[in-house]
Amino acid sequence: MTTRGFWGIVAAVVLLALPLLGVDDYYLHLLIMAGLFFLLAAGMNLLLAAGQLNLGHTAFFGIGAYTSGLLALHYGLSPLWTLPLAAAFTGVVGYLLGRLTLKLRGAYFVLVTVGFAEVIRLVATNWMDLTQGPMGLAGVPPFNLGTERLTLVSKRDYYYLMAVMAGGTLYLTARLLGSRIGRALRAIQSNESLAESSGISAYAHTMLALVVSCVLAGAAGGFYAHYITFLSPELFGFQNTVTMAVMVVAGGQGMVLGPALGSLVFTFVPEMLRMAVFYRMLLYGVILLLVVMFMPRGLVFYLRALLRDRAKQPGVPSAAGADAGFTSGDDGARMAGPALAVRDVTVRFGGLAAVEGLSLDLTRGEILALIGPNGAGKSTAFNVITGFQVPDAGRVDFDGRDITSMAPYRIAERGLVRMFQRTSIFPEARAIDNVLTACHRLARRSLGELVLTTSGYRREEERLRGRARAILHFVGLDHKAEEAAKNLSCGEQRLLGLAIALAPDPSVLLLDEPAAGLNAVETERLMRLIESIRGRGLSVLLVEHDMKLVMGLCDRVVVLNYGQKIAEGTPAEIQRHPEVIRAYLGSGEIFAHS
Amino acid sequence: MLAELTQHVVNGLILGGGYALMGIGLTLIFGIMRVVNFAHGEFFMLGAFFLFTLFSLWGVNFFLASLLSVLGVGLVGAVVERLVLRRLRLQPIEIPMLAMVALSVIIQNAAILLWDPSPKTIKHVFSPVPLTLGPIHVVSIRLFAGAMAVALIVGSHLFIQKTRLGRAMRATFQDTDMARLAGVDVDKIYMFTFAFGAALAGASGALLGAVFWVYPAMGDLAALKSFAVVIMGGLGDFLGAIVGGLLLGVAESLGAGYISSGYKDAIGFVLIILLLLWRPQGLFGKKTFPR
Repeated sequence: MTTRGFWGIVAAVVLLALPLLGVDDYYLHLLIMAGLFFLLAAGMNLLLAAGQLNLGHTAFFGIGAYTSGLLALHYGLSPLWTLPLAAAFTGVVGYLLGRLTLKLRGAYFVLVTVGFAEVIRLVATNWMDLTQGPMGLAGVPPFNLGTERLTLVSKRDYYYLMAVMAGGTLYLTARLLGSRIGRALRAIQSNESLAESSGISAYAHTMLALVVSCVLAGAAGGFYAHYITFLSPELFGFQNTVTMAVMVVAGGQGMVLGPALGSLVFTFVPEMLRMAVFYRMLLYGVILLLVVMFMPRGLVFYLRALLRDRAKQPGVPSAAGADAGFTSGDDGARMAGPALAVRDVTVRFGGLAAVEGLSLDLTRGEILALIGPNGAGKSTAFNVITGFQVPDAGRVDFDGRDITSMAPYRIAERGLVRMFQRTSIFPEARAIDNVLTACHRLARRSLGELVLTTSGYRREEERLRGRARAILHFVGLDHKAEEAAKNLSCGEQRLLGLAIALAPDPSVLLLDEPAAGLNAVETERLMRLIESIRGRGLSVLLVEHDMKLVMGLCDRVVVLNYGQKIAEGTPAEIQRHPEVIRAYLGSGEIFAHS
Repeated sequence: MLAELTQHVVNGLILGGGYALMGIGLTLIFGIMRVVNFAHGEFFMLGAFFLFTLFSLWGVNFFLASLLSVLGVGLVGAVVERLVLRRLRLQPIEIPMLAMVALSVIIQNAAILLWDPSPKTIKHVFSPVPLTLGPIHVVSIRLFAGAMAVALIVGSHLFIQKTRLGRAMRATFQDTDMARLAGVDVDKIYMFTFAFGAALAGASGALLGAVFWVYPAMGDLAALKSFAVVIMGGLGDFLGAIVGGLLLGVAESLGAGYISSGYKDAIGFVLIILLLLWRPQGLFGKKTFPR
């Protein structure tokens, strides 16, 4: 057994034994409240993994509480049923809010969620018929297990009910954050464009995190309603959300145990401050400020550093024998026609046509270069093909199907994957996890299997890990597998970017200036890699300024100038083409390296 | 009928001027420093309490007291930037945000200890008899508040557009690194921006505090309103904050008059939700795929 597992069991046993050891009801109550806030903070933490801070989370807590309370009061349903109903209803509300707001990012999302909670608070205050307004809703029945004879009475009863709920939450969030879902969420936070172009839907994953967090908040609210048996619009107060956010950040955001430790500490600290009477809230504010300023990464992070318990990350499997078979080549090879066909694509920015009437074909197994002076429209063309830019006219077919204005992640799911010009990595994650993250679209096991950790799921995870390792080996980065991507050299980061692009098993690869910033030796190596990738049955379209690479590697070249195609042909033809020479004249850049 | 409508619009515009001042402060701070100032409501409240203390308690001339209050809030803002925000500049966006939340807890509770929680009025120097312009009645303090708001908005605009410091602020807004390379003292700009934004909130608080009530929690709602203003106008958008502020003021005034005063404070966010339905890609945002 690992040390962490051992201490985990010790902690669980101690916590479960507390009521039997005659601990005072007051402390049991505080622990119950800590558990309650853990449900809320854990959900917030999940969404924050994707970089979205929900500062209206207490609205969902309140909605869950009122739903469960009102159902039990008005319809006489047992809380055993109203609590799950409240959780489900809160999830639905979260889904609807997500439909509206998840396209917003950063500060906008934060402010809109703050506003949402305020609107809900006003509704709870003013809708007297339903909620009895500021007077509050009294007489909510206590929790029972189906019949009133089995009503929970003592603090100890509620303590164990909360232990079950908090334990479940800990397990669920650990599973989600520790699996491909967590990798996807972190990828969205760290580099959303790259995540999308690796086949990860930012919308679907942040929505999942939001709905799970709302269900947890609804369950917490349901519990609260039957535990306290009195509800008031105060539940929706901003102060509650602040408490949750502080628990997440002070505990350690992104870490499974962060919200757990945070909710324990920040339930007990304000209680201890009661001695300070008048100065209590002032002191509380000062403590918050000091924690945020001096421990921004959270208690768990600093404790870990203190105990020198380097978290055991999943080991990196050996690449031996794994080299073969990480590409399935061109699935559509049997199909007739080009792998990629761009037809009359036009993109205008204001009055300026960045790309005008562009058509090109990428034949199966071909390496095609798109070149042209700066501002010729190469990157815009790439953005259109990969779904990041909707063209004003024209269409793009991939494997004979129209993919024009499809979402980037859908295009990637079909096997068309790009590498970005500069930032084509997830900087915070280890190299191996960068590649593993991008294997996302190959995972077939359902969410249910993932949460239950079935053997099928474990095998798949193992297989994907092996695949990621094999791809790292292919680009020659196995020795850097454990390094954080941001610590790699510029050349290594380009190679890692290539590995990430290969991870979703594409049939067509788009490379945007892959050799930018590489020295001659590295460029040479990159050329051999691209050649070998083609040898595995992939088609490659690349934008590049390095003419040595273009002329030495590509089968055909398409030249753009001012958004229009001015020439197309073999490298030899292009070098002699009068218009190409004219377009590049003055810069002389086209033949500088050849 | 029409008179009543006009009356609501005029009241709304005066209120909206205060919101716009708040919004400009918030939007400048976010635009230049990337900080969501959750203590904005507290600067608003401090503006009102400084005026109350100087004028009502210590008997300083009303206009001098107003000026000193605004400058005082600016000073508090400068200190906050120097001691707190400057240390958090490299942290992800939620860290300075939470620091400002903590700060608002501190300032509000300090205010409760200093001035006690009961609401106070500022017995200003204006006549309580309303001025009558045709069918519309406006109390002169409101007229003064509205005029001051307009003056401050125009003044801020001229300041940012015409002065050297304003130019440095705009440069920092566009590209901090380039501004630094061009010789702009970015630290100074940040400190000034935060002080300036705080002072505008303080001015708004002093003006609206003289019209309505003064109490330690008065900033909570004001902060929420200013959030609504900047979401509508676009974070970092000066003109957007003015339009958003006036829009919100008028909408609230009409909503309270014709719909329900209980839900008055929700109107801003209902507007935002409608805007989101109308433009699901975000309000003023382009599709944001940074590359």
